[in-house]
Amino acid sequence: MVKVLRINMTNREIKSEELPEKYALLGGRALTSQIVSDEVPATSDPLGPFNKLVIAPGLLSGTSAPSSGRLSVGAKSPLTGGIKESNAGGITSQKLASLGIKALILEGQPEGNDWYGIKITSDGAEMFSAQDLAGKGTYEVTSLCRDRYGAKVAVITIGPAGEMRLLAAGVTNNDTEGNSSRYAGRGGLGAVMGSKKVKVIVVDSPSFNAPVKDAEKFKEAAKKFSKILMDHPVTGTGLPAYGTNVLMNIINEAGTLPTRNFRYGRFDGAAGVSGEKLAEVAVARGGKATHACHPGCVMRCSNIYPMPNGKVCAPVEYETAWGFGPNLLIADLDQVAMLNYICNDVGLDTIETGCALGVLMEAGVISFGDGKAAIEMLEEVGRGTALGRILGSGSVVAGKTYGVTRVPAVKGQGIPAYDPRSCKGNGVTYATSPMGADHTAGYAVTANILSVGGQVNPLLPEGQVDLSRNLQIATAAVDSTGLCLFVAFAVLDNPEGLPAIVDMLNAQYGLALSVDDVVKLGQQVLRVERRFNSEAGFTRADDRLPEFFQTEDLPPHNTRFDVSEADLDSVFNF
Amino acid sequence: MILEVRVFAGLEKQIPGARYGQPVEVDAPDGSSVHDLLRILNISEELVFAVLINGVHAKKEDTLKPGDRVSFFPPVGGG
Repeated sequence: MVKVLRINMTNREIKSEELPEKYALLGGRALTSQIVSDEVPATSDPLGPFNKLVIAPGLLSGTSAPSSGRLSVGAKSPLTGGIKESNAGGITSQKLASLGIKALILEGQPEGNDWYGIKITSDGAEMFSAQDLAGKGTYEVTSLCRDRYGAKVAVITIGPAGEMRLLAAGVTNNDTEGNSSRYAGRGGLGAVMGSKKVKVIVVDSPSFNAPVKDAEKFKEAAKKFSKILMDHPVTGTGLPAYGTNVLMNIINEAGTLPTRNFRYGRFDGAAGVSGEKLAEVAVARGGKATHACHPGCVMRCSNIYPMPNGKVCAPVEYETAWGFGPNLLIADLDQVAMLNYICNDVGLDTIETGCALGVLMEAGVISFGDGKAAIEMLEEVGRGTALGRILGSGSVVAGKTYGVTRVPAVKGQGIPAYDPRSCKGNGVTYATSPMGADHTAGYAVTANILSVGGQVNPLLPEGQVDLSRNLQIATAAVDSTGLCLFVAFAVLDNPEGLPAIVDMLNAQYGLALSVDDVVKLGQQVLRVERRFNSEAGFTRADDRLPEFFQTEDLPPHNTRFDVSEADLDSVFNF
Repeated sequence: MILEVRVFAGLEKQIPGARYGQPVEVDAPDGSSVHDLLRILNISEELVFAVLINGVHAKKEDTLKPGDRVSFFPPVGGG
């Protein structure tokens, strides 16, 4: 039976409910956003008893579909004040799907200061006291849970930042080796989990037991899809060789690498924190340049980076290397990895923390380029000092606290690693996505910079709205399947890609969906999310970039963000 | 004419002594195209997925100018 586990933290009751018929064809982001929309009042306090944290595997998770183990975590975001789906790799999604669990819903709020854990197995779910885990970093919590419940369990947890309900706190889970680094990082969902007083959710199950109606047809479609991924130059060759941080150099060369808190588009030290450098150092120290974040991924874009202190940061991703590297004028990969590791352990989103550090450097609290000072300041988060709490609350809070207007954020969420003035398609996505500034929500870097899915000149406003719209729709659909968004590199270029995904869905669920139905699913997800935001008080004024992107030239191309407001308002005209 | 060439993501192995990200100065005949430059560098065309001239995407038939910053990439992606 497919089911929803409803975990009420007010009375500490766990109920297993049959999945309502209306949710039967939803998974991942489509399901988290629909449940949040149906059950959470849009005007509720994100950290109050009426918000709910919804965790859902994708439609294809737990099957042999390649790269299909992505997990969606949704709620009303305390960072943006709008709806949020944050997407993570790791091993939990496949395990939940294998138990027939379509969604976990954490709701209510307990009285008192006790912390709780939840353990989920094929026998059911139970709550336990997590008092002994409270205050601990995510690496230790994950390690303790693997000792207690078995080395193969999946551990969803929050760090001290989530316990303190800081706005940049994420929800993490682990990879096969037990690294608690696979984050649903964005939007402060760790604070929502903290507000429910849930420190950890342990899932014990096999990984590939999700029910499939027509196993033969499924196998055939999955094999075909796997070949499509392996045959594409980016998913079959590029990503497996150097991982996501291979982007550092091409984004730098293209002049759209946000440098010194979005002042320049190129950084002289970029190569020193790039994927090539990472691969060199990781391999020399006995780590790995390529690694899968969940079993069955064929792209293997993750990595294992041993640090000089003997600890391991796995992985160092592009966005993180950018946020702590060029954004802060730091050219030392070991310092970048250390900042990454601390975020993973204390429980913070690396992008938001990178943006917040950039704003605090802008304010002169510490100097640009001073990696040692950045590490010391980040260590304050775990100690709960006032400055640590400001840093852990993200870029907008940092800007307001120190009177800085140069704050790269939309709807309260920090802008990631592509400057919107010279990658204008992503600028449209940052401005208009219901998620706030989110590069994955409509990754126009494909056609703007990477020559994937066509070519649209990144320096001109023309064509960017159509590009962003189509990508936002496709992404909302992909995020619902549990497939990694990176499959889009192949799907955008290969006309057989999307039909192969539809064939897998049809074989698994005994359906007769068409490619059009998948597009409609993506549109429906966006409509639901936009409606929630509108009811929460968002207007057109929230679909805009910060002023300085329109008034300051970005070297080396000396361009400004000049997509018109009317064009931005037409993104959701479907 | 003198060109400033950069190679990345494994392409540096095609040029003896080159390092990713570090400029390689190349003296090419005036009017050379990207095709010509790849021939001079002895880099096989099929290894090169993207070419940027001064930070802007270019085609291999495009003509180069003195002082151009030319960057070569194999297939790359991420995010």
